[in-house]
Amino acid sequence: MSRLLLAALCLPSVAVAQQTVIEINQANFRPMPLAIAAPMAQDDAAKKAAAEFDSALLYDFSACGLFQVLDRKGYLADPKEGVTAGSIAFNRWSDIGAESLVKTQLSADGDTVRADLRLFAVGAGREELKVSDSAPAGNVRRLAHKLANAVYRFYTRETGPFETRIAYSRKSAQGRDIYVADWDGKNAQRITNEGVNVLPALLPGGVAFTSYRQKKPFLFVSRGGGEPTLLLARGSMVTGAAFSPDGKKLAVSVSEGENAEIYVANADGSDAKKVTDTRFFLNTSPTWSPDSKKLAFVSNRAGTPQIYVMGADGSGVKRLTFQGNYNTTPAWSPRGDVIAFTARDERNAFDLFTINVETGKIVRLTQDAKNNEEPAFSPSGRLILFTSTRTGTRQLHVMTADGNNQVALPTDKGDFATPDWAE
Amino acid sequence: MEAQASSYSLLRPRPSGLLPFVLLSIVGHVLLTAGGLALSWVFAGPKVDLEQKPIKASLVRLGKKRDEKLLPRKEEPPPPPPPRAAEVPVPAPAPPDKAVKIPSKDAKPEKPVDAKKTLFDAFSKAGRQEELEGDPEGDPNGDSAVQEGERYFGLLKSVVQRNYDVSDTIPEAERRTLKAEVALYIGAGGELIDVKLSKPSGNDLFDSAVVGAVKKASPFAPPPPHLAESLKKQGVAIVFRATN
Repeated sequence: MSRLLLAALCLPSVAVAQQTVIEINQANFRPMPLAIAAPMAQDDAAKKAAAEFDSALLYDFSACGLFQVLDRKGYLADPKEGVTAGSIAFNRWSDIGAESLVKTQLSADGDTVRADLRLFAVGAGREELKVSDSAPAGNVRRLAHKLANAVYRFYTRETGPFETRIAYSRKSAQGRDIYVADWDGKNAQRITNEGVNVLPALLPGGVAFTSYRQKKPFLFVSRGGGEPTLLLARGSMVTGAAFSPDGKKLAVSVSEGENAEIYVANADGSDAKKVTDTRFFLNTSPTWSPDSKKLAFVSNRAGTPQIYVMGADGSGVKRLTFQGNYNTTPAWSPRGDVIAFTARDERNAFDLFTINVETGKIVRLTQDAKNNEEPAFSPSGRLILFTSTRTGTRQLHVMTADGNNQVALPTDKGDFATPDWAE
Repeated sequence: MEAQASSYSLLRPRPSGLLPFVLLSIVGHVLLTAGGLALSWVFAGPKVDLEQKPIKASLVRLGKKRDEKLLPRKEEPPPPPPPRAAEVPVPAPAPPDKAVKIPSKDAKPEKPVDAKKTLFDAFSKAGRQEELEGDPEGDPNGDSAVQEGERYFGLLKSVVQRNYDVSDTIPEAERRTLKAEVALYIGAGGELIDVKLSKPSGNDLFDSAVVGAVKKASPFAPPPPHLAESLKKQGVAIVFRATN
């Protein structure tokens, strides 16, 4: 039928009557080319804050995976160009391939820095968004995160990741300590300062972690940065705490003799119930599905560590991974479709993969960049935080959930491990 | 007698006429060599950089399929196909109406032509409809123009699709419903005369992306002659959807 229609349209005798129609589906989605002009400081006090503000803004847009931030070395516009649509030579910005342009102005009033951000559509030559906010001079990074979030929300209608928190364990002189920081690793707050503290799990207003502070490694919680208190003590070791997305439950792995079992308790640690029972085998690293009804975890019941899925009450256990012989540290995407995990491949390299929960299809996210481990999804599920030894030491990195745009967090060198990410 | 013998002796020096020729030959060779060197210096090719690292190439063969029990390697996007110029079909030279036979040695002489019978045959053929061979569902007027048109529009589609880049910032839920239509007008040389957003999607980013896809894809291959006029005046509509 379509052939006949096309034939009729193509013949000169009838083509005068109608227009041929071509249908094109499935766009090539790619990051938006974005130019970010250097902030314009109105006074000396604002100039001092400008560098820090600029660095945070550039990192936010570069690392979030939605934008391709264009290199300032290639900018053609006059650096003193104004910040209103009428004063901007948009052709200079379109000449470098920019589709959007961000311009910011900073001014200081005493100890407070005010920032005005304007977003322009370069092709249309018009202002799309104007947002303003202020913050103490010592906190301009958070001011930048707030404004970057406004731009992110303008495009995606989602809350951006820039004001979220991450937690990680970092090697110290005496052992390992737990830190909670902004999404870029800055403003890091040390939660512990003694012994070995590992496997942090963020919860609203606090962080839980496994600590050896009472000799046996049990689960502790620190709320509001305060002194850690015991949350769950059971068996010989409690590890891998994961709070359910609805905030009601807590899943952990409890070591008992030769085996380790998954327990589900209330979020305050009470009423812990064993949901796996495989004598002589290990069941560890639980992670919740977004609806808080299922758990994915690691078990070696088939001989090698593999990822399994079951109901939160332990029912309907199903093996998910069949490729590779060492699959660990699962993290269930808040979108629900995939589980990210660490696997050791046939070259003995540790890399990150995702497995589709429905189809079982495995996709590799990292490759040929030393060891990449311990994935943690952003609250929106768009990004993955992970550790990588690609720069020599084990550093925190972030990438999109499909493995693109892998960027190191701007932290100093150190040995970072087992990150978590939450609102 | 002795004097005669000594005059024939090989040991006796005697004047030779060869010396000028030998000298001339040496001078000639020197000049030729110098000329050759000068010419090679004048017409010398590009200087060879002996410090440059050699390019190592190795032949590889396709291996066996990856073991399904192994974890996958990262999927690299295949390189985009090189842009192809429009395939303008060159008509093959028509075979001669009647090939001339080369008589072989054993060939029998042709029968003499019966002029009367030939005349009756001609009348007979003119009187009946000749039976055509081909596709029973084919176009009686021929469909080469249609095929050429299909080929051209297929080419147009692939070249625009290649440039159909849309910003990742568009929310995934919104992508499913995004649809826009543009009308583009193409000149006889394949140049883009105009592109209009005839049915906008309502999303500025998507709308500018579809217009941009057409602009980036131009200039196009020159259209086949039978489409040139319609592509210039009526244009062609392209309906873009963000997802499948």
